Amino acid sequence: MAAAGSVTVALHVAEVLETIVSGCLGPEGRQVLCTKPTGEVLLSRDGGCLLKALHLEHPVARVMVACVSSHLRKTGDGAKTFIIFLCHLLRGLREITDKEKDSFLFENIQTCGRHWKNCCRWKFISQAFLTFQTQILDYVMDHYLSRHFLSIFSSCTKERTLCRSSLEMLLGAYFCGRVGRNNQNLMSQLMCDYVFKCTACESRFEEVLELVDDCFVELKVGVTGLPVSDSRIIAGLVLQRDFSVYCPADGDIRIVIVTETIQPLFSISGSEFTLNSEAQFQTSQFWITERTKAIVKHLQNQNVKLLLSTVKQPDLVIYCAGLNGISVVECLSSEELSLIQRVIGLAPFVLPEASSQYELSHTALAKFCKPLILRSKRFVHLGLMSTCSFAPHCIALCAPVQGLVEQHENALHGAFKMLRQAFKDLDLNCVTQTSDQSCTSGPCIYKNSRESNELPKIVNSSIQRSYQDTVVKKKGELAKTQTNLKVCSNLIVPSVKLEQNVLCSTPKVAVTDSYQTDETLRCSSPNKGRIMDDQEPFIESNSANSKPENTRRGISYENLQVTKLARKDSILPLRYKSLETCTSQSYYSSSIPAGCVLPVGGNFEILLHYYLLNYAKKCQQSEQTMVSRIIANAILGVPKILYKSKKGNYSFPQVYVRALQALQTNQPMISNQTGLESVAGKYQLLTSVLQCLTNILTVDLVINIKRQPQEVYDQDSEEEL
Amino acid sequence: MSRLEAKKPSICRSDPLTGERARASLAALKGLVMSCYGPAGRLKQLHNGRGGSVVTTSQSAALLAGLPVSHPVLKVLTAAVRNHVACFSDGGLFTAILCCNLVENVQRLGLAPTTVIKLNKHLLSLCTSYLKSEGCACRIPVDFSSTQILLSLVRSILTSKPACMLIAKEVDHISTLILRAFLLTIPENAQEHIILGKSIIVPLKGQRVIDSAVLPGILIEVSEVQLMKILPIKKSDSFKVALFCVSLSGDLSDTGEGTLLVSYGVSLENAALDQLFNLGKQLVSDHVDLVLCQKVIHPSLKQFLRTHHVIAVDRIGVSLMEPLSKVTGTWPIGSLGSISPSSYGSVKDLCIAKFGCKHFFHLIPNKTTICSLLLCNRNDTAWDELKLTCQTALHALQLTIKDPYALLGGGCTETHLVAYIRHKTRNEPESVLRDERCSQTELQLITEAFCSALESLAGSLEHDGGEILTDSKYGHFWSVQANLPSAVNWPDLPSRCGCGLYSSQEELSWSFLRSARHPFPPQTCLSREATGSADTLTLDCFTAKLSGLQVAVETASLILDLSCVIEDTN
Repeated sequence: MAAAGSVTVALHVAEVLETIVSGCLGPEGRQVLCTKPTGEVLLSRDGGCLLKALHLEHPVARVMVACVSSHLRKTGDGAKTFIIFLCHLLRGLREITDKEKDSFLFENIQTCGRHWKNCCRWKFISQAFLTFQTQILDYVMDHYLSRHFLSIFSSCTKERTLCRSSLEMLLGAYFCGRVGRNNQNLMSQLMCDYVFKCTACESRFEEVLELVDDCFVELKVGVTGLPVSDSRIIAGLVLQRDFSVYCPADGDIRIVIVTETIQPLFSISGSEFTLNSEAQFQTSQFWITERTKAIVKHLQNQNVKLLLSTVKQPDLVIYCAGLNGISVVECLSSEELSLIQRVIGLAPFVLPEASSQYELSHTALAKFCKPLILRSKRFVHLGLMSTCSFAPHCIALCAPVQGLVEQHENALHGAFKMLRQAFKDLDLNCVTQTSDQSCTSGPCIYKNSRESNELPKIVNSSIQRSYQDTVVKKKGELAKTQTNLKVCSNLIVPSVKLEQNVLCSTPKVAVTDSYQTDETLRCSSPNKGRIMDDQEPFIESNSANSKPENTRRGISYENLQVTKLARKDSILPLRYKSLETCTSQSYYSSSIPAGCVLPVGGNFEILLHYYLLNYAKKCQQSEQTMVSRIIANAILGVPKILYKSKKGNYSFPQVYVRALQALQTNQPMISNQTGLESVAGKYQLLTSVLQCLTNILTVDLVINIKRQPQEVYDQDSEEEL
Repeated sequence: MSRLEAKKPSICRSDPLTGERARASLAALKGLVMSCYGPAGRLKQLHNGRGGSVVTTSQSAALLAGLPVSHPVLKVLTAAVRNHVACFSDGGLFTAILCCNLVENVQRLGLAPTTVIKLNKHLLSLCTSYLKSEGCACRIPVDFSSTQILLSLVRSILTSKPACMLIAKEVDHISTLILRAFLLTIPENAQEHIILGKSIIVPLKGQRVIDSAVLPGILIEVSEVQLMKILPIKKSDSFKVALFCVSLSGDLSDTGEGTLLVSYGVSLENAALDQLFNLGKQLVSDHVDLVLCQKVIHPSLKQFLRTHHVIAVDRIGVSLMEPLSKVTGTWPIGSLGSISPSSYGSVKDLCIAKFGCKHFFHLIPNKTTICSLLLCNRNDTAWDELKLTCQTALHALQLTIKDPYALLGGGCTETHLVAYIRHKTRNEPESVLRDERCSQTELQLITEAFCSALESLAGSLEHDGGEILTDSKYGHFWSVQANLPSAVNWPDLPSRCGCGLYSSQEELSWSFLRSARHPFPPQTCLSREATGSADTLTLDCFTAKLSGLQVAVETASLILDLSCVIEDTN
């Protein structure tokens, strides 16, 4: 297959996938039924699931599916958006290339052969995309979009605490795209309850999310045949097997874990046991019985009431345990064992060598231990006393059919993945090189601000306080002055004006971040408080060097309590740099802070669209302009589908125009939807799609191999002696 | 090396419900389940040309288990019904018919699925909250001090399964047996948590139904040969029992993964047998009267025990182990070494009984909640059906203990609900329209679809071409014979409504079930004397029917929400 058609071919493939996927997108999306060759049916609205179920043959399609699944592994969300965005990008690309066959971009390759010309062309374009992804996107995110971000955390202190209502909104929006229409509220409510019930210590919810994500399979119980509304959270841990022996016990229950049979065997593997007489055989059997009894008795003396075993124990052990009032659960899977060990921090019991007294060091306690009957099946129900931040709870998922149970399981698991991602800081590799030419017109007011502690003209409001602290560091022979200037101001005018001033003088002063609370958000959830993530920039200005580097390495977040006088509080950290450093290059890496969210309904897309177009206008390089334009237009594809069924005032053009007007006049964007989505997830999706696109564009030839694939042996893993 | 084969691409179809094929298969399934419904339902004969027995049934559990379904949408539907039956035993056909009706009715309307699902959910919550409310007039509280209502419930379940082939007298007999079996499983000194015992159904095919019986304790079937070896049982007040879960055949148990080297001349069999004899001696010295073993007992040990007047029964099987250990109060012994005296149990009496051509060893306990239901029927198919029905009835009784209510059967609950929903949505639509953001017309259309689904469900109880009427006071179900001379004023004919609660003595005005009529408020609050007066009511299990209703609506919503089907053809 020649590359000439690669965009067209890829577009065809993407369009087919888009038609399947777009039916499931958003709150109005519908379900898809997948039948397996085994006769089972699976219901799904999960893009990744659908793409896998299609078993696509087309090479380009397989590349796409591979990209989607690698993206899903990382983030757990966004497969449908991925396909739609990719499709729109390809569409935009084709339009451009159809129009300008001999554009300035490709003039230099006119002389080459047609095929090679095409290849080069695609290579150029893909490189442009790559540059965009690594440089411009991060820059735009950091400089423009970040001021619209909201935070999911509620408190103003250093500790990050989860806010219930915003979590509900985040999960609500997620489940809108994942489960059937009539179960969305129920599922997000269930999950929200679950997260809060499992979190023993508020500030350590991240550990909880990590644990639940890792061990989700062990933490849910699927029940078929009951209505979905019967799904509930069960306190404690449910093991999906029955007791081998159950002895009711009150009070705290001591637990021991074993990983081998308690009854000694005649011979272990690799050894040989010689029987010389019948008496010897009988004595050894007698010894085995006595020894088993002794061990179980010993356990009873230590007040052990529950024996968890990863292997099947012989009848004798079960019998002895029953006589001594010890309940036994056998054949625990290694996953269940690792979950229990994580929760109670208990190491397996090592059988004592001699049958003498042996103090049990490895025991844990449970509040209760009883059988649980769900749909006439018996399970083991353990009330473990957790030693970590995770308070064990299980989810019983009920549904009329197994396919629906699986859908809900997958959706919940994905939601935990998504939350985990959302609460992680995401580094932007924002490398901005600013030349000194553009810095001549820097406003003089900034020069003063270093000493004068106030910014009278820029901000037409009272500045609450501003302070600076200077730290002088010695590092080698270079003396580095780290000026840490932070101006906390209480702005009444939106900060945008200020920023516009600042932007033309980037090397001197740059407004890095400002968070503005969204009014609508605050109204809907009054207890959320204000979002005041603050970036504390470190500026290290090197005065000794003639070519100073301005590096902002680590960003520490600090929530500052600012006297709330006006409704719009905004904390404005200013990055300041002295005028002496005329020629400057500033490299700084920034990041999307953990828990950044935006309202759903295409808010992110419209914002990015707007700022990318703005950027494209300013940009001098034509390639970048073109790429930015294509991406800006393609990204609107998702909100267009989301608003397809809406009419009148809520139709897409109306929403779009309103949003643009709001942006131009610096009004807050008003969203009519309640729901939040993670910015980090969206950003990762964008980069994944761009990487996938470059992947598709750079391939010039597909070689079709009919032979069976050969096993690839890992050379390193084999030991060569 | 695993076999590597490229997977074939799947087939993707959009809008799975609009095609002719889908409509036809849905209609076929609907016709199938509708014709089975109720006491007058037609039987289905499932016959597999490749082998297996022929099944004659009208129960959803047996019908759907043997019915291969190819259409993916129907797979969802039948899976939902089967899962419901696995949970509640009863109400499978109800769920299946309602789900089919809902899908068909709504499909015909062509409204946006989101609106349909929202409104269906709303109507469902209207139904469930009404059925759970105190003022519900189609639900009666179950009085455990008399057997009347419980007996009616069991009888309704038995009569609704015509494939059991029972005559009226047999129905009476079996329903009393079932109720007695159930009552035997209830512990006498009930605390906060009642742990119900178990009634074990013992098959006895080829006998008259009237010969069925309920016996307290456990029946263990023994062959005639074994019977000869069992000694005459001596008279005693109590018998000491030892129950083994470990094999007493003298085989060598797990010796580990290593190798076991046996010198020449050493016989492990003898060693093992010596051990068994030691065990036998211990049993004898402990004065054990009866030895039961889940697995096999070595013939020598058996002989030894017999000479010492100990009865030994082996090959009991794992399914009887738990009831046996409960009945006798033993702890199943897993050791060949010394036996702790605390693991012995006892029974009050032992006897050998003969039912039909089978011999049983009957263990009569002192006081436990285990009983055996000896079930007879003429042939295999009818017995299978009767067994399933008995299990359903026992399960329904257990569910009734949890939720002490019963719903009026015979179609009356459905018609009453329809009247309630119609009235409610006509007179108080504001709250719905505000909450669900839909138009008045949409609400009316969906309500009509929902109600006619329920009505057609009630109507499928009538298979003989009769007419179905409903009254405008209680909203109950009345059926009249077909082919009546036109001269007769038919509204005078029905004597009792479907559930048997009301008689036509009262001044009632009737109308055809599926005719257009004015919504009326059905009388709520059931009067006490009404339930007391009627001697035989037709009743349904409350929990099963409520859950069936929910599952049917949820599954219908699920099916209507499908945008495409991806079929994996590998």
